[in-house]
Amino acid sequence: MLICDEYLTPASLDEAFAAMERHRGRYRVVAGCTDTLPWAREGRAGDVEIPVLIDVTKIPELNERHVGDKRVRLGAATPIQRFLDDAALGRAMPAMPRCAVWFADDQIRAQATLGGNAVNASPAADATPCLEAHDAIVELASATGRRSMPLREFITGPGKTQLADGELLTGFECDAFPGYGGSFEKVGHRRSLVISVVCLAVMVKLDRDGKTIEDTRLAIAGIRPVPRRLREIEDLLRGKKLTGELLEEAADMPLDLVQSRSRQEYRRDVVRGFLVRGLIAAAKRAGASPDALTRELEAAYG
Amino acid sequence: MVDIRLNATINGRKVSRDAKPHLRLLDFLRDDLNLTGNKEGCGAGECGTCSVFVDGVLMKSCLMPVAKAQGATVDTIESLAKSGELSVLQKAFHKAGASQCGYCIPGMVMAATAALRANPFADREEIKERLGGNICRCTGYQKIFDAVELARDVQNGRVPATALLETDTADGDVIGKSVRRIDAPSKVSGRLKYAGDMIMPGMLHVQVLRSPHAHARIVSIDTSAALAMDGVESVITAADVPGKDGFGVFVHDQPIMARDKVRYVGEAIAAVAAEDALTAKRAVAAIKVVYEQLAPVFDPDAAMRPGAPVVHDYAPDNITKHIPIRVGDVEAGFAASDLVIEESYSTQAIEHAYLEPEAGLAYVDHDDVVTVVSPSQNITHHRHMLARIIDRPISKVRFIMSPVGGGFGGKEDMIYQGMLALLAMKTMRPVRLVYTREESIISTAKRHPSRTTLRMGLMRDGRIRALAMRMVCDGGAYGLSTEGVMRKAAILAAGPYAIPNVQIDTFGIYTNNTPSGAFRSFGALQTQFATESQLDIAAERLGLDPFEIRRINAMRDGDMTHTKQKLGSVSLMRALDAAEQASGWESGAPAVRGPVRGDLGHDDVRPSVTLGTRFASSGAQEAAE
Amino acid sequence: MARKRGRGMAACWYGIARTATVDRAAAWAEIDDGGSAKIVTGVTEIGEGILTVLAQIAAHEIGVKPEHVVIGDNDTARAPEAAHAGASRQTYMIGNVVALASREAKKRLVDVMADMWDVEADSIRTGNGEIWAENTNHRITMGEAVACAKNRGVVPIGSATFGTDTTGIKDGKGGDGSGRPWQAYVFGCQVAEVEVDTVTGEVQVLAVWAAHDVGRAVNPQGVEGQIEGGIVQAIGQGLMEDYQLKDGHTSTSGFAKYILPTSLDVPRVNSIIIEDPDPIGPLGVKGIGEPAMVPTIPAVMNAIYDAVGVRVFDLPATPEKILMAMREKARRETMASQAAE
Repeated sequence: MLICDEYLTPASLDEAFAAMERHRGRYRVVAGCTDTLPWAREGRAGDVEIPVLIDVTKIPELNERHVGDKRVRLGAATPIQRFLDDAALGRAMPAMPRCAVWFADDQIRAQATLGGNAVNASPAADATPCLEAHDAIVELASATGRRSMPLREFITGPGKTQLADGELLTGFECDAFPGYGGSFEKVGHRRSLVISVVCLAVMVKLDRDGKTIEDTRLAIAGIRPVPRRLREIEDLLRGKKLTGELLEEAADMPLDLVQSRSRQEYRRDVVRGFLVRGLIAAAKRAGASPDALTRELEAAYG
Repeated sequence: MVDIRLNATINGRKVSRDAKPHLRLLDFLRDDLNLTGNKEGCGAGECGTCSVFVDGVLMKSCLMPVAKAQGATVDTIESLAKSGELSVLQKAFHKAGASQCGYCIPGMVMAATAALRANPFADREEIKERLGGNICRCTGYQKIFDAVELARDVQNGRVPATALLETDTADGDVIGKSVRRIDAPSKVSGRLKYAGDMIMPGMLHVQVLRSPHAHARIVSIDTSAALAMDGVESVITAADVPGKDGFGVFVHDQPIMARDKVRYVGEAIAAVAAEDALTAKRAVAAIKVVYEQLAPVFDPDAAMRPGAPVVHDYAPDNITKHIPIRVGDVEAGFAASDLVIEESYSTQAIEHAYLEPEAGLAYVDHDDVVTVVSPSQNITHHRHMLARIIDRPISKVRFIMSPVGGGFGGKEDMIYQGMLALLAMKTMRPVRLVYTREESIISTAKRHPSRTTLRMGLMRDGRIRALAMRMVCDGGAYGLSTEGVMRKAAILAAGPYAIPNVQIDTFGIYTNNTPSGAFRSFGALQTQFATESQLDIAAERLGLDPFEIRRINAMRDGDMTHTKQKLGSVSLMRALDAAEQASGWESGAPAVRGPVRGDLGHDDVRPSVTLGTRFASSGAQEAAE
Repeated sequence: MARKRGRGMAACWYGIARTATVDRAAAWAEIDDGGSAKIVTGVTEIGEGILTVLAQIAAHEIGVKPEHVVIGDNDTARAPEAAHAGASRQTYMIGNVVALASREAKKRLVDVMADMWDVEADSIRTGNGEIWAENTNHRITMGEAVACAKNRGVVPIGSATFGTDTTGIKDGKGGDGSGRPWQAYVFGCQVAEVEVDTVTGEVQVLAVWAAHDVGRAVNPQGVEGQIEGGIVQAIGQGLMEDYQLKDGHTSTSGFAKYILPTSLDVPRVNSIIIEDPDPIGPLGVKGIGEPAMVPTIPAVMNAIYDAVGVRVFDLPATPEKILMAMREKARRETMASQAAE
């Protein structure tokens, strides 16, 4: 049970910083609360008494949305559901709708926020590998100023970030990838409301003929302390002709990605299969030429 | 505490009132507004019993601080049946038989309402995906999907509204007809009051102190600090039990609160009744217990070895129950067999996971009858046991069964009713206890985990000559239903097959694990899993179709069972024929035929699914493609 | 192929009502003013639909509509003992005893009407809220009949008790387990069709065909509901659920870690109801709550073996367990073929 004496809902960043200053050492910032409330239960943190909760979801800046051809800017309070409701956003971030549909369930993703997913820094977070694939920059603000840094630097370990005392995550700035095909592969112990054992975000851009990989972005999570971009694989694929052999070669790169202590061999196996499966799905959505990938390959991994 | 002045529109009415800042929207709706239709099944957003609309968007109200509803429009399950008339979807749930225990149903109806609002033409696969956040433990979901499809078709005019009406029984033949459930309207509308929804004037709230240790002697319990707290009315421990303490379905080995020692993590030690649940919680935290650790035993095989820690003095070998079954001479049977197969199997502990966590009320009525209202699966036996425990004549003990939000055997144990009765007697006020999901999981019975070795001797023609099975089950810290589970497991272990030589031994063993107890299929699930798996192994080795090997061995009318009971009519062959025909089974030995068999993918098989069916049918397609 | 399909089957048997002991239940019935029926018994509805089943049985026996049956239950101070909700016993024990009590109440009413109409009692029929004498013009509503009875000082009530002819089994030291644990047995058989994703090891159970003897189906939709729910619970145990303990402490104390089947994890269930009437009870009914769950797990495990050639002996068959078993099998086969060369 989460017990507080006061629940504040500041209407601006300044109000929020004032509240944080006023209650220094006795507050916790919350957003969607979909992780905080389950955390304060038996078997996890148990009953938790926090004098002041500061809810940042009503701050206008944290709800901003800008979708351009090159860049996307999203406030930290953006609910995950928006990637399913906002077609323009889905086009600019083509793996995100696929990720969103796997994210918890219809109801939780209406509450859960993008910023919360990043600040929690769970190794099994679904949204952060997608953001990594977009080279997301996190924007941070405090009463004394603003700074920004790449998401991969922001998340430093399980549950650990560079968020400083008195600082808020206000938003993300990402590369937009219109015209890319996106996919999101995930496995857990069931098919809804499930924690990832492995998850993979893939985006692929093909040439006009759908035969050559112009660009690709891959990022993986669930298998190591923090999400990881797969730049080695991106580099291998970029500019190459789209073939089944190439995708299998990419999947076979000896990267030693799995750092989790449990289920290592299983995860390694799944990662390999997901790489091929995710690339096939993303390539198809990017308009792959029907003769680029063989039926056998699709059957073997699809 | 700084209360929040909450202004919101709830079920169409303006509400303006103060709320404690730590409340979740669910608490505010249920406790402050008495809108108990939506339930708390898990408190962690994992089950969907609490799903409500907030500004038209379905949300899990257990994950929402009440302050987030400031200025919002909130609609609960109570809002759907306008002026008492059920919505089309609610009527469809009634008609399709989509509610069983009903506890998940208010949330499920809300999720289904949201699904059809999002896409009025959603197909069955999309419906499934949109209900993915709501767990149902009773129905297997089939009738829920049927109901949503029926409502969709009625709403779209593809099916007449008369399809929602009662089955016609005008011909007078009522048996054999799918008459609509009489309890469904109150379930689909959220009107039905489960124990955790009930309130009584002057009611106190109960919280329980639980053991953090698996095996420890209780040296002392100091309740003085808890008793001194404002708002605390009573604190009880085993020392307050007036009669002969002990409950259980077969042996009465479990005290209503730990007596002298604790035997598992989560065992009740003391209970507090206070003016509100938070005060009771804080009082529980103020109880001081001094423990002396005892060596624990967690593995049933280890517990059977000489010198193992003893869980109950009355059972120095830790054996709760051993059941033998003997027919013929198995060793001679194996010697005469053409093929002998020996394998080991194991099954895990599982949780009943009824969506309604345990809850109950107790009071002493005007005739001094100690009355307990709870979702008990066995009020008769509970009354007997409680009368002895509280030392009252049986006429002064009354059990009323509140609607049961799922049981599956898990509510056969009198695990908390004793504490409630005692607190009602101590305070002479109504008392109510509502478990959290976590409390329910750690402290109540599980399905017996099992380890089984199975030897089966067969003739070349497929006849089973001999079967020997030994199963060891972890019964956990208390007896509960272990004896009965071992008995049923053993009697049914060899399956419905005429076997001349049978030797079965099932052992239920005490350990310091969470107790195991009654669970739907009561031991037969564990033993028949082994037997039916092994029959397929045998069929492959002998080149027989799996139906065939079972037919060869099937008990026939008038055959003897393994307990030497003569059977009357045996319907096994009819069941085998029916399943084979209905599935269009292609005959052959079970030798990994999947890649080549021709009977797959019939019309009565659902499609393989991955997430994202909605991309094919909604505007989101554009977003993703 | 990444997704491999297969089929498996398994059979089961089960005993109905309490095991190896005498089971019993009692009920009271009254044909009430207006021709409705009132049934009082210590039955416990736990979601399976027993109240509806009893309403149907009382309606059938007395001759009124099911919606005109009121059931008073669940209170040890107000209802006769009907024992517990478990052992797949309620339709069998309580259904049968409600039928017997209803028959006695009806007989009281019929005797009054036979006397009034001066006809033989066995020529009187009831149904659909009416009572009549065959081959006569006598036909009135049940409500009118109840009024007639009460004018003659008769309240049409009945009571009954139903017990089983069963014994314990010899399970003491040196015992052979012999005995008569149940008087009604049911049998069943299920076929499962599965798809195994060989990239992840995930199993989807796509369909189950379930054929079960229930004696006599009072409410077929309710029987299907029991079969469907039982199968899905079994799939939970077979594929995902796992209450884990380490040194007595659980790591699965909430539904985030204790994984249950969701709407996306369930097969299509095709139920086939078999009716082999019980010859002992007055209705021919048996039970279905528990037996429905018994054959599912082995049928699914047999189907997984059929699809990918690996057998899971230790439940649950998680994706990891299946994938690793497949890899192990492939390794063994490679080694065997190398050894052969």
